[in-house]
Amino acid sequence: MTEKVSVTIDGAIIRAPKGLSILDAALDHGICIPHLCRVPAISDLGACRLCIVEHIQNGRSKVTTSCTLVVKEGMVIHSNTEKIKRLRRNIAELLVAEAPNSRAVQDVAMRCGVKEVRYPFRNNNCILCGRCVRICTGRLGEKAIGFVGRGMDRRVVAPFDLKSKLCRECGWCSDLCPMTMTPCGGPMHKGQERLCTNCESKQTSLDQMTGYCVACYFGKGFQCERHPERFTGIEE
Amino acid sequence: MNKIHSLDRLRNFRQGIIDQRKKFAATMIICGGTGCQASRSKDVIEAIQNELASQGLTEKVHVRATGCHGFCEQGPILVIEPGNIFYCHLTPEDAQEIVSKTIQKNEIIERLQYKDPVSGNRILTEAEIPFYRAQNRLLLSMNRLVNPGDIEDYIAIGGYSALGKTLAELSPDAVIQEITAAGLRGRGGGGFPTGKKWTETRNADGDEKYVICNADEGDPGAYMDRCVLEGNPHLVIEGMMIGAWAVGAFKGYIYVRNEYPLAVKNTRIAIQQARDLGILGENIFGSSFSFDIEIARGGGAFVCGESTALMASIEGKVGEPRAKDVHTAVDGLWHKPTTLNNVETWANVPAIIHNGSAWFAAMGSKGSKGTKILALTGHIKNTGLVEVEMGTTLNSVVFDIGGGSSDGKAVKAVQTGGPSGGCLPVDKFHLPVDFDELYAAGSMIGSGGFVVMGQNTCMVDVAKYFLTFLQDESCGKCVPCRLGIDRMLEIVTDITEGRGKPEQLDLLEELGATTSETSLCGLGKTAANPALSTLRYFREEYEAHIHNKKCPAGMCQALITYQIDSETCTACGACMTACPYKAITGEKKQIPTIQLELCQKCGICRSECKFESIQVN
Amino acid sequence: MPQTTLDTILDGRRSQPHQLIEVLQDVQAQNGYISEEAMRAVSKELGVTLLEVYRVASFYKAFSLSPRGKNVITVCTGTACHVRGAKLLINQATAQIGVETGKMSADGLFTIENVNCLGACALGPVVTTNTDYHHHMSPGKMRKLIKSYQKNNKEEAANE
Repeated sequence: MTEKVSVTIDGAIIRAPKGLSILDAALDHGICIPHLCRVPAISDLGACRLCIVEHIQNGRSKVTTSCTLVVKEGMVIHSNTEKIKRLRRNIAELLVAEAPNSRAVQDVAMRCGVKEVRYPFRNNNCILCGRCVRICTGRLGEKAIGFVGRGMDRRVVAPFDLKSKLCRECGWCSDLCPMTMTPCGGPMHKGQERLCTNCESKQTSLDQMTGYCVACYFGKGFQCERHPERFTGIEE
Repeated sequence: MNKIHSLDRLRNFRQGIIDQRKKFAATMIICGGTGCQASRSKDVIEAIQNELASQGLTEKVHVRATGCHGFCEQGPILVIEPGNIFYCHLTPEDAQEIVSKTIQKNEIIERLQYKDPVSGNRILTEAEIPFYRAQNRLLLSMNRLVNPGDIEDYIAIGGYSALGKTLAELSPDAVIQEITAAGLRGRGGGGFPTGKKWTETRNADGDEKYVICNADEGDPGAYMDRCVLEGNPHLVIEGMMIGAWAVGAFKGYIYVRNEYPLAVKNTRIAIQQARDLGILGENIFGSSFSFDIEIARGGGAFVCGESTALMASIEGKVGEPRAKDVHTAVDGLWHKPTTLNNVETWANVPAIIHNGSAWFAAMGSKGSKGTKILALTGHIKNTGLVEVEMGTTLNSVVFDIGGGSSDGKAVKAVQTGGPSGGCLPVDKFHLPVDFDELYAAGSMIGSGGFVVMGQNTCMVDVAKYFLTFLQDESCGKCVPCRLGIDRMLEIVTDITEGRGKPEQLDLLEELGATTSETSLCGLGKTAANPALSTLRYFREEYEAHIHNKKCPAGMCQALITYQIDSETCTACGACMTACPYKAITGEKKQIPTIQLELCQKCGICRSECKFESIQVN
Repeated sequence: MPQTTLDTILDGRRSQPHQLIEVLQDVQAQNGYISEEAMRAVSKELGVTLLEVYRVASFYKAFSLSPRGKNVITVCTGTACHVRGAKLLINQATAQIGVETGKMSADGLFTIENVNCLGACALGPVVTTNTDYHHHMSPGKMRKLIKSYQKNNKEEAANE
């Protein structure tokens, strides 16, 4: 049997197997910490930073991503403080301004409390979450695509920006891609940097359920495995 | 070559070198660092050697081509001992006169003497120069004593004896205790207590451990690591060896920028010479300690200053940082316990072991001990590397050592710590050079770049400069750093181009705070500092750009126009020749006019005009 | 690049993945840039996937993936050089040669690059052409420097 350790997340004492990340431990116990770049059962990047939590150590709080933080006996974690909510909202705002053209990103932004976006929209095709890269190199071991370049030139391509010979066209990459989800029909254009009213009405109920799984509308291949039954009939 | 396999051999070897050099009546110390090489010091050295040979003095005068002395602006530099005579701005043509007058007859050549820009006086000796006088050159002063390409020089000044003492007398725990008691903190930027880091690696599980020297000085405006590694590589190697003994490492890496070709070359030579003498290798000085060092050249990425990225780079991978919930001291290079310190930190180690921790801890301020090398540059009279005791005030650095602003106007600010640091205005110059005090003021010592800014520097432009730099250097892995910096740059660009809105300043502050709190690595965590510190201390400049659409310093291209002042213009035509866009036209001996529709506002005409006739509106 | 050069570079480094950056540095130095062919060869010889070689080559600034001009003019844009007018030098060079930074000029004579610091801050603004250092540069000095290279090239062409 796997050894277990006790951690405290938002006041709840949780017994989690050694080696598990705080994010997985929380999700397993119904505490929904928002996340985007995570791919279940594959090593985490810590790229989207949405799953940040406050880790209390020696009386001092440190902001860190829960997906890269491994459970340790006696750890104290706060996932939903005012500070975390503010920081998470700012990150989500940056993300949605980059790609308002994806339902997944819209959902995450809404989930993190973004109402108005203070940056001009960009409608990028990729938010560099790396889900495709990790399924390709991590689970399938193919290494057909990867992150290339750096900074603003960073992109996901195959060597020399051509189609890789290693690609078996399994399609996992596009299944996991948040950008393949058709956005809602709200005002998603430059100059109308808001989320639609539909999202806003959901926001009210979310505010009352913070910290719990709200079964947000991530599409096929994207769902966190918490409530698979809710995704059998995807609402459009 | 005979190997030095015991401490006695080291002592004899050293005595032999000293005896052999007694024949020299004088020593000519010539700087051959990167800065002086740019000023043709190689030719000067050659000319002097030829001249000594032709006057039959080769056996009497020792010529030592050293590493950087830190006063690059005056290069090439020559110091003649005994007498401490200081000559600067040498050319190969001066060699004949120097040898026949100063060496042969003790005559001073006035035109080669240093002229103090503050008083205008000629100064005879190196020790009297104000630039050097106010410093405490613990590390830098050693550079003039050694030729970096000659291990004998280093051994002659007592080199590797601290290592000898360590291996003969001190247990690893005793070494760590000394370093901890000395209060040495990391010189690379973070100021992390070195002893604590070493303890973590020492206590970590596993037999395979590493030490690394970070010489990837990516911080623009800082070059002390280049100077120390290039000028005195054995000092760094000795420091690493003592550290390796303490933490239990058998292998070290020096990660050095490829943009520093001379440092790479000198370090290679030094490692080879140490191997040849058996100082690096198996059973060093007859002890149980074995150690070797390899060089890894950086590929030009600022983010590789971050420990996890640097280690990935040594492993031959892309320099992307990873989460550091477990310190690299425990989980580092190839997932083995690794101690990573910066060049200057390692260089401080031998002297601490040699002189004892109390000696080191007696220098400096409460929380910051010893000395710090600063790269003093920008709009200032004396530029160069200065080494001061921790706790020295910024006033003393900028005015006593630096001699104040270069154009006679008031100094506006000093930017400390490079892209991770911030700008401090003149009314903060009472602050000491101290890790904690500068941090509290919204800046940091960082690696020690001190760029002085005058009235012509626009602080919004400074923020834009650093954000552009950081956007270029961010690895792009995490959202707050990649997009946060990009959006901050977007806002600052809006402001400098006259599209700024008042509410953007609050957004800039909020975004800066988010980037600092949530980024994955140190690059992102400190990326907002230049923008936040300029906003904190120079908010009125931001507001002038937003409300009045004016750039007070006259730097932001979109907000200015150029005009030729007909009263001071002498119609020399220099601006017409200079303008690469052919936007300045006019007849011969007539005052030219600027064609505004062609003018790109590049500022080249203004910099080329000798009469300050190009005005900014 | 010739196979023999590549062989010399790879000598003693084959099948050592951690030597990737060192090898690419040498290829860059020998060849002026890193070609697709070189990357494929390095990938095979070091035992590193092609993807990883391409990632590394595209990540580090030291590596150029396209050919560079006969003369590489590198303008230091470190902080000290920036406040002393490095931008003017880039303006001068790009306007005079008629090519943006990072690209090769149409005649293949020049590439203008910027580097974040050459560590000669006290002498700023600093420019290097190939391996020569030029200190205390001004737009005027830059103009003459570029002209001298253009003139040399014309003379060389005439002599051939």
